[in-house]
Order: sequence, then structure tokens, then C-alpha cells
Amino acid sequence: MSELSPHAGRPGVIHDLGYRHFDGVREGTPAIARTLFTTGLRHAYGLGRSGKSKVMPFVLLAMSLLPATIVVGVVVLTGLGELPLSYADYTNRTQLLVSLFAASQAPVLFSRDLRHRSIVLYLARPLPAPVLALVRWSSLTVAVFLFTAIPTVVLFAGAMLSGLDKSDQTTAALKAVALQVLLAMLVAGVSGLISSVSLRRGFAVVGSVMALIVLTGIVTVLQNIAYYEGDSESVSIGVGLLSPWSLVNGLANAWDAGVDTPVPVDGAWVPAYAIVAVLLVAACLLGLVARFRKVGSR
Amino acid sequence: MGQPPVISTAGLTKHYGTVHALTDLTVDVGEGVTGLVGANGAGKSTLIKILLGLLEPTGGHARVLGHDIEHESQEIRRLVGYMPEHDCLPPDVSASDFVVHMARMSGLGASAARERAADVLRHVGLDEERYRPMGGYSTGMKQRAKLAQALAHDPRLVFLDEPTNGLDPAARTDMLRLVERIGSDFGIAVLVTSHLLGELEQVSDHVIVLDGGHLLRSSATGDFLQQTGRLLVEVVGTESERDRLGEALAQRGLTCRPRGAMVAIDPPPPELAEGGAVHDLIRDVAADLGLGLMRLQPDRRHLEDVFLEGGTRV
Repeated sequence: MSELSPHAGRPGVIHDLGYRHFDGVREGTPAIARTLFTTGLRHAYGLGRSGKSKVMPFVLLAMSLLPATIVVGVVVLTGLGELPLSYADYTNRTQLLVSLFAASQAPVLFSRDLRHRSIVLYLARPLPAPVLALVRWSSLTVAVFLFTAIPTVVLFAGAMLSGLDKSDQTTAALKAVALQVLLAMLVAGVSGLISSVSLRRGFAVVGSVMALIVLTGIVTVLQNIAYYEGDSESVSIGVGLLSPWSLVNGLANAWDAGVDTPVPVDGAWVPAYAIVAVLLVAACLLGLVARFRKVGSR
Repeated sequence: MGQPPVISTAGLTKHYGTVHALTDLTVDVGEGVTGLVGANGAGKSTLIKILLGLLEPTGGHARVLGHDIEHESQEIRRLVGYMPEHDCLPPDVSASDFVVHMARMSGLGASAARERAADVLRHVGLDEERYRPMGGYSTGMKQRAKLAQALAHDPRLVFLDEPTNGLDPAARTDMLRLVERIGSDFGIAVLVTSHLLGELEQVSDHVIVLDGGHLLRSSATGDFLQQTGRLLVEVVGTESERDRLGEALAQRGLTCRPRGAMVAIDPPPPELAEGGAVHDLIRDVAADLGLGLMRLQPDRRHLEDVFLEGGTRV
């Protein structure tokens, strides 16, 4: 017969341990920034959020993948000698979906914290406001980049399967990927800045759609009018500086990545396009940092 | 002795254009619970935001836990927790997930953050509802969740800005008890603001009074509530019994005045003050009159008096 201590015999006793201090390792700023980046990237695709917030990003992704799989199927089955459109042009043709993805997911990363003022809780923690803004932007940039890069990977895999020239395809695909990085930075910057200013989700989405889709439509129309009606090549190219998509497409055209513009972009226009693109990204980032600082101090 | 103050400010000033939110504030805050009292707009929240590095002061210096706010604000933000006055909870996230995330944002690893979040939510008293989205919470539950995120990373100091705001009397008492426990049982220094003086009287060791951005007074709560030397006596019965006692005591040479249902007796003359002679006298008088003595207590000052005094000084 074993002698039990008086307490051991009573099952289900809740022991109040009292308050326990934490004396484990505390991570530094880079590790915290990495955590925030990963969380942001997951949230952009609805992962770690409610079930219905996964619908929009994945439906858009499926829609942008569908043509790529069809193209791959056709190329593999019919044995075409080349892809019917270039990798960079594929991204350009699916620009509506890419823009919609950015417009719908930017508010998740930029409006929520500001609108519900949880930004203050972030700013009362180690990450400084500029780092916070940059990390948020990086999450969205990578999310948009993945959105455009996944179809490229599918197309590239199809091209390899059907035995197209490996070095040609690799060069074209890498060009497309480089352009996609720039595009993602621009699109994330513009839609992020708009979302951080207009805190109502609806307004933010509409604002981003205006800036990314409607503006690009207007720019394209003006480019064509200037070229076909006004016979002015430089006006046609110049107007292209006004929207993220026309900037990237202009650079793609100059780089011979298989994207047509009404007038070929060459000469001094190439550095002009590159400089405007970089300035636009920088301006968006500065705007985001200023915005985060301002809301945080209220 | 020799312990540096948790917070020390020197000539801290913050002006928004022509609005002077804080003027030349020089004050030290020690361990335990410190109450920061002032009317709305007295500069309480501004002070906290400056100490956190969210606002830049117009002038002056401050140190928090030995770190300078100007150059080491990141280090300060590692060590402090902050519960803002306003709503700051995203409605579509559960308290559990949110507190875990906030703990990670303070540098805790994934498993440590989960463990701490569960601990802290238990301490603030959020049970099953911690798994529900916070949008559906009552004000009391929201305040608890806000407090939990401030404690998630086991800070050395927490700033609690109006933690009892919007709470009903029962929830208010609960919250104040929690604040007291944070200061004593948890061993975390607390700077808690309120515009209700009575609340802070109950829980704080030290009280700082701000008025229009100026320091009105800073001292231990005991000093605020120091005894005035007056006595308060209450007898069974109505006002007529009260007056009978008062008149009888006045005949014995004590200065009496009615206060509510009680008789307030001014500090007695020296021959009666010694050895509790005045207490015996009151007991005898009440017995002679056949009155039931219900209460005999020293009269204390209230925090309100500080404002009244301050008001006359300005």
C-alpha cells in the first residue's frame, strides 16, 4: 500500500502558479522584422486569416494561371516551335488580375493597422516606424511578385517539356522575372500608399483600381492617339511615364523582352523610364513612412 | 536606496503650435504603481507618448529605465508595455492570436509568445472568449485584451492610459485590482493615468498631479491622504441625534460642525489631544446622552483637496 501525499490524491487541482516572468531570449530587430514580413506575406494570400479572405487572392491566382496552363498544354501537344507570347508579355496581358490582386490585398497590410489604430501598438514596440513601413511594403511586393512569377514558372516548365531552346527560354524568363520585381515594387508602393491614406477598405480598393487599372487604360489610349492621330512619337513615349504598367512595359520593350508598345522606347527615353520608375518607388516609400509616423503620434 | 528612478524627466516640454501640452515637467517615478492624474487635456497621454518615443519633445530630457528617450527609444520600447486610451484592436482577430502576434513583435520566439499569451490572458481574466474575434467584445473585455497585449512580453514598466475608461463600476473595481496586482505581485512598475482621483487613491503608491501641462504636485499617496487631525463621529439616529451630540461636545470645549450624517471635530486643544483623552470624552458624552456610537475615525484629506489648493495658488 503506497502512502500518497495529501495533495497527490486529488485529481484536477488547478495550481495557480502566480505571475511568471519571462527570462528567455529576446530577438533583435532583424528577427522581429522577419516575423512581421512573413506574417504580412501570409496575410496577403489570406493565410492565417479567415476562410473567406483566402477566396479573393486564390481565385485571382487561379485565373492568372489558367491561360498559362492552356498555353503549356497547346505547346506541348502541338509541338509549336515557340511560345505564342513572351513571358513578359504574359504578365502584361494579365495586368488586370495583377492590379486587382494588389488593390484588394494592399488594404489588408496597410489600412487595417491604421484604421483600427493597432499601428500604435506596433510603434510602441521595438520596430521603428520606417522599418515597419518598409517591411509591410516588402511583404506586398513579394506577394505581388509571386503572383506574377508563378505563371512564368508554369510557362517555363511547359517550354522545357516541349523541348524549346533552353538558353533562349532561360534568358527571356529571367528578363521577365527582373521586370516583375520592378513591377511588384511599383504596384505595391502605389497601392500601399493609397491604402494607407484612404482607410476605408472600399475607398482603398477603388483608389488603387483607379491608379493601376483606369490610369493605365487612359495612358494606353493617349499613347495610341498620340502615335496614330498626332504623329508624335515623343508624346506617345512621354505619356508612358505616367503609369506603373506603361513604365514597366516601356522598359520591357527597350530591353527586348517581347512586349510591344505603340512606339519603341529607345535612346534617352530608356534611362528616363528607369529613373522615373525608381523615383516613383522612392516617393511611395517616403509617403508610407511619413504616413505611419503621423498616425502613430496621434 | 541607490536604485535609479524608473522614469525621470527634466524640464520636459511639448508645444503644438500655440497649445502647450506639457510645460517644464521635472518629475521622478519609482517602482510600484504611480498614478498620473489630471483633467482631460492635462498632458497625461502626451507625456506617455513622449516617453515611448512616439512624440518628440519640444524641449527637455527624460530617461526611462536608465535609457535616454532621445537616443535609446528602441531599447526603451523593448522594456515597456503600453495600453493606449483609444480603441486599438482589429475586430477580425481573436485576442489569443493578437496577443501572440504582439508578443512576437516585442521579440519573443513563437513558442514563448504562445505560452506568455496564454498566461497573460488568464491573468487579465479572458477565458473562453479569447478565441472569439475581438470585434464582438464588450468594452470590459476589450480593455482586458488591451492590457494583455501590454503585458505579453513581460515588460519592466507598463504605461496604462485610462484603463478604466468606459467600464461599469464592477469592471472598474476589477481593473483597478488588476493594476494593483501588476505593481505588487507581478513586480512590474506601472504608470497609470486617470481623470478620476478617487480611483488612483485606491491603487497607487505615488501620485503625480498634472494641470494644464504643469506639474501640480508629486508625492506618495499617503502624503496626499495625510491625517488632518480632525475626528469624525457618527451616532445612531437622525440629524437631531447628530446635533444633540454636537452641542454637547461643543459645551465641553470642542469645535464641532456637521458633515453629512457625522459630526466633524476640529483638532482638539492640547490637554485633550494627549493619550486619546478626546476619544474618552466623546465616548462618555455619547453614553451620557444615551446615543449609540457608530463610528469614530480620523478625518483624512482627499486627492481632490490638492486641486482645490492648486486652484487657489494659480
